[in-house]
Amino acid sequence: MITLPTTFLTFLALAATLVPFIGAVVIASLPREHAKWICHGFAAVTVVIALVIAFAFGNDSHVVLIGFGDTEVLGLTLDRVSVLVALAVISIGYLVALYSIGYLNEGNREHPDIGRRRFYAFLLVFIGAMAGLVFTSTVIGQLVFFEITGACSWALIGYYETPKALRSAAKALLVTHIASIGLYVAAALLFIFTGTFAVTAIATLTASQKAIVLLAILVAAWGKSAQLPFHMWLPDAMEAPTPVSAYLHAASMVKVGVYIFARGLLSSGGAPEIVGWVGCTMAIITLVYGFVMYLPQIDMKRLLAYSTITQLATIMFGLSISVFGSDLAFKGAIAHIFNHAFGKTLFFLVAGALSYTAGTRMLPQLRGILSKKPLLGIGFACAAMAIAGVPPFSGFFSKFAIFAGGFEVGKDHWLLMVFVAIALLESVATFAWFLKWLGQCIPGKPSEAIANAAPTPFTIQVVITVLIVMSVCSSFIAAWWLG
Amino acid sequence: MTPSLLPILILIVPLVAALGLLLTPTRNLTTRTCEGVHIGSIVLIVLLSLGLAASVLAGNHPSSLGGWLYVDALGVIFLLIIGVVGLMTGLYSIGYIRHDLEEGLLDAHRVKIYYGFFSLFLFTMLLSATANNIVMMWVAVEATTLGSAFLVGIYGQKSSLEAAWKYVIICTVGVAFGLYGTVLVFANGAEVLSDPHQAVLWTSLAENAKLLDPSLMKIAFVFVLVGFGTKAGLFPMYAWLPDAHSEAPSPVSGLLSGVLLKCALFVIIRYYALMIRSIGPEFPQTLILVLGTLSVIVAAMLFYVQKDLKRKLAYSSVEHVGFIAVGLGLGGPLGVAAALLHSINHSLAKALLFCGSGNVVMKYGTRDLGKVKGMLRLAPASGVLLMVGALALSGFPPFNVFVSEFMIFTAGIKAGYWILMLVLLGFFTVTIAGFVQIISGSVLGKPEENAKVGDVGKQTLIPLGILAAMVLIMGFAVPTPIARLVSQASAIVLDSGDPIVVKAPWSLFGNEEATVAEKAGNLIVTPAAAAETAQNTETK
Repeated sequence: MITLPTTFLTFLALAATLVPFIGAVVIASLPREHAKWICHGFAAVTVVIALVIAFAFGNDSHVVLIGFGDTEVLGLTLDRVSVLVALAVISIGYLVALYSIGYLNEGNREHPDIGRRRFYAFLLVFIGAMAGLVFTSTVIGQLVFFEITGACSWALIGYYETPKALRSAAKALLVTHIASIGLYVAAALLFIFTGTFAVTAIATLTASQKAIVLLAILVAAWGKSAQLPFHMWLPDAMEAPTPVSAYLHAASMVKVGVYIFARGLLSSGGAPEIVGWVGCTMAIITLVYGFVMYLPQIDMKRLLAYSTITQLATIMFGLSISVFGSDLAFKGAIAHIFNHAFGKTLFFLVAGALSYTAGTRMLPQLRGILSKKPLLGIGFACAAMAIAGVPPFSGFFSKFAIFAGGFEVGKDHWLLMVFVAIALLESVATFAWFLKWLGQCIPGKPSEAIANAAPTPFTIQVVITVLIVMSVCSSFIAAWWLG
Repeated sequence: MTPSLLPILILIVPLVAALGLLLTPTRNLTTRTCEGVHIGSIVLIVLLSLGLAASVLAGNHPSSLGGWLYVDALGVIFLLIIGVVGLMTGLYSIGYIRHDLEEGLLDAHRVKIYYGFFSLFLFTMLLSATANNIVMMWVAVEATTLGSAFLVGIYGQKSSLEAAWKYVIICTVGVAFGLYGTVLVFANGAEVLSDPHQAVLWTSLAENAKLLDPSLMKIAFVFVLVGFGTKAGLFPMYAWLPDAHSEAPSPVSGLLSGVLLKCALFVIIRYYALMIRSIGPEFPQTLILVLGTLSVIVAAMLFYVQKDLKRKLAYSSVEHVGFIAVGLGLGGPLGVAAALLHSINHSLAKALLFCGSGNVVMKYGTRDLGKVKGMLRLAPASGVLLMVGALALSGFPPFNVFVSEFMIFTAGIKAGYWILMLVLLGFFTVTIAGFVQIISGSVLGKPEENAKVGDVGKQTLIPLGILAAMVLIMGFAVPTPIARLVSQASAIVLDSGDPIVVKAPWSLFGNEEATVAEKAGNLIVTPAAAAETAQNTETK
C-alpha cells in the first residue's frame, strides 16, 4: 500500500527526490530557450529543501512509502549520514547546473554547443535520483535509483553524440549494469531471508547470510565507484561535457557505490570480518593501480579520473576497516565522501573553465595560469591541495581520520597495518605528483593557449569561488555534523 | 462455474464486426465506416473484458455454451491483455493506415480487409483465451495463424508474402504437434472419466487429473510444448517469428508480439497446470525451464546483431517469452506470478515499441537502423516515446519490465538456480547493449541535411502516450485488481487452492492470501500443494 510521509522532514526528503523529476518533465515540455533557467530554478528549490532538512534535522527518522504487510518495498530514512551526503549531492548538483549555463554555449572553445533540453532534463533527473538513493531505506530502492543514475549517466556522457562519446556512454551503462547484478542478488536474498527489503533487516541475518548480502552489495559498489575490476568505464567517461564529468566523478555516480556500501555496513549491526578483508584488499589494489596510472596522463581530465579512482579506493578502504571496529574510520570515510565531493568538483570545473577559455586541457600546454587567470589559478591550487590532503584543506582531515582508524585496528592485524602503510605512501606520492603539475601550470609566464584565453563567464566564476571556500570549510562542516 | 452471457458476447462482437466488414462489398463502404466499425469493436471488447474481470474478481467463473467457454482469473488476465493492447494498437492503426492509404501503399479494398481481419484476429485470440474445450483451444490457436497471416501479407510485396507463407507453414506444422498432444490428453481423459464427454473440458480434466496416465501425459506435454511453443516463439521453432513480426504493419506487429505469443503461452500454461495436477511439477518445469533458457540465450545474441529495427524487436520478443517460460519453469507461487506479470508488462512495453517503430517507418520510410538518424530532432515526441519504450524493455526502473524481471530473478535465486540467473541477467545486459545501440544510433545523432522536421500525427502519438503511461504506472505500483488476478491465477496454475491461509511471497502485491483459497474452491487440494505452502510460510 502506498502511504504518504506524515512528518515534516520525511515529506521534505520525498520532495527533494520528486522536485527534480518534475523539473525534468517541465523542461521536456517547454521550448529549449527556457531549459537552463528551469533547470537552475528546480535545482535551487531542491537545495533549499536540502538545507531546510539539514537545519530542522533532529532525530533519526524512518518512514515506509510503499509496503505490503511486513514487506517494506520503498521507504525513506533520515539520519546524520544520509542528510550530510544528500546535502553534498544536491548542492553540487545545483552548482553544476549553474556552471552549465556558462559552459554550454557558443562561446565554448572546446565544444561549442547550444545547451539542449536533454542535458538539463537528465541533469535534474540525476539530482533527483541521487537524492532518492541517499534517502531510500530499502535495497530495492537502492537498486532502482542505482539503475536510474546509470541511465542518466549514459545520456549525459553521450551528450556530444560523437561515436566515441556514445561508445563511452554505453560502456559506463553496461559496466555499471553488470555490477548492479550484485544488488539484484542482495535484494533478492534479503527478501528471501527476511521477507522485507529494508536495509536494516541485514542486522537480523545470520553471520554467513550477512556476509553474502554485504559482499553482493560490495560488488555493486565497486561497479559504481569505479573500483577494480569495474574501473574501466570511468576514464572513458571523460567524453562527457566537463560539468557532467564533475558531477559524475565528484558527487553522484561514483558516490553511489560507496554510499550503498556504507549504508549496508551501517545497518548491518556489525559485519563479518570477511567483508572487511575483501573490501580492504580490493581497495588497496585499486589504490596502487590508480596511482600508477597517474604517471602517464597529460590530459587534465584523465588525470582527475584516475585520481577519482584512488580517492574512492581510500573511502572504500576506510569503510572496510570500520568493519574491524573502528568508528573513526567510518566517520572519516563519510566525511571524505563529503569533502572529496567539493574538492573534486572544483578541480573538474577549473579544468572545464580552462578548456572553455583556452580551448585545451592538456597539462603541458597550460602554464602561468595564475598571472593571466588568477581565480582559476587559485582554484587549481586549492583543488590540488584538497585532493592531495594538505592541511588546512578539507581532504586532510578526513584522510587523517581514516588513517588514524587504520592504525587503531592495525594493532591487532599486521596485514591491515601493511595496508595502511601502503595507503599512506600513496597519499604522500599523490601529493608529490600533484605538486609537480602545480609547479608547472600555476606560476611563470603564460603559455600561448593561456595568454590568448577568452574571459571566464560570470556564472563559472561564481561557482568556482563558492567551491574554493568549500574546499577549505567542508571538512569542518562534516566534522561538526558527524560529531 | 457461473452461467453468463459475457464470454459469448465478447466473442460475438469482433466476429460480427469482422464478417460485416469482410462480406460487404468495398464500394458500399467508406474508409470512415470501416474505422467506425473497427473502433466500436475494439472498445466493446475492452469493456466486456473489464466486465469479465470484475465478475471474476467478484468470485464468479463465468462460463457459457455448456462449459465450452470458461473464464477464470488466469483466462481473464489474457483477456485483459488482448482487450487493452488490442484497443491501443487498434487506435494506433487508424493514423497508421490512413498514412499508408495516402502514400498509396494500400488501397480502399485492402483497408477494408485490414480492419476486417484485425477484428477476426482479435476474435480468434479471444476464443483461445476463453476456450475450456481443449480441442477448441487448439482450433482457436490454429485460427489465429490464419487470421493474422493475411495481416502479415497485407502489403502484397514479395517479402511480406514470403513472410506470411513461412509463418503459415511453420506454425501449422508446429501446431499440428499441439494437436497430437491435445488428442493424447483427450484420449487419456476419455478412458478414465465416467462421462467421456467431460474429457474434452479443461476444468473436468483438471479436477480428475490424478486419474490420468502419467506416462501418456508426459508424452502429451512434450508435444504440447513443442507445438504451442512454436506459436509462442519458443526455441527451437521461432524462425518464422522475426520475418512475420517485422513484415506486418506496425500495429499488427505489436499485436502479434504483445498478444498472440501470450495466447499460445496461455494454452501452454493451461496444460502446465494439468501436468502439475497429474504428474507433479518436476517434469513440466524442467522442460519449460530448458526451452526458456535456450530461447533467452539464442534470442539475445541474434537480437544484438540485427540491423533492422523491427527484426530486432521481434528477437526481443523471443527473448522475453523465453524469460516468461523461465519464470514458469522455476515454478512456485513467486515464479508463476512473476511470469504472469511479465506477460502483462512485456505486452504493454512491446506494443509501445512496435507502434513507435511504426512512427519511424512513417517518418523515414525505412526500418534500416543505418538510415534512421536523429529521431529526437526530427520527431521529438516519437523519439522520446521510443526512448521510453527501449529503456522499459531493457529492464530499467522505474518502468514495469524491471519489476517482473526482478521477481523472476528472485524466484530463481529462491529456487537455488544461482548460476542460471546470473547467466540470464548477463544475456539481458547484451539486450541492453542492443537497445542502447538503437537509441544512440537512431534516436540521437544528427539527422540528414535535407530531412524535414515535424512529428507524425496526433492519432498515432496519443495511443503511444497512453501505453507509455501504463508502462510507467505498472512500474511504480501494480494496481490492486491486477495484483489480485495475478495471485489468483498463479494459485490456479499451481493448484494451491487449499483452505490453509497461504502467506506467499507474492503477497508483495496485496494481501490476498485468504481469498485465494476461497476463490479456487472448485479445485481439489493435494498434499504437494499443502507442503509447498508450508515451506513458504517457513521461509517467510
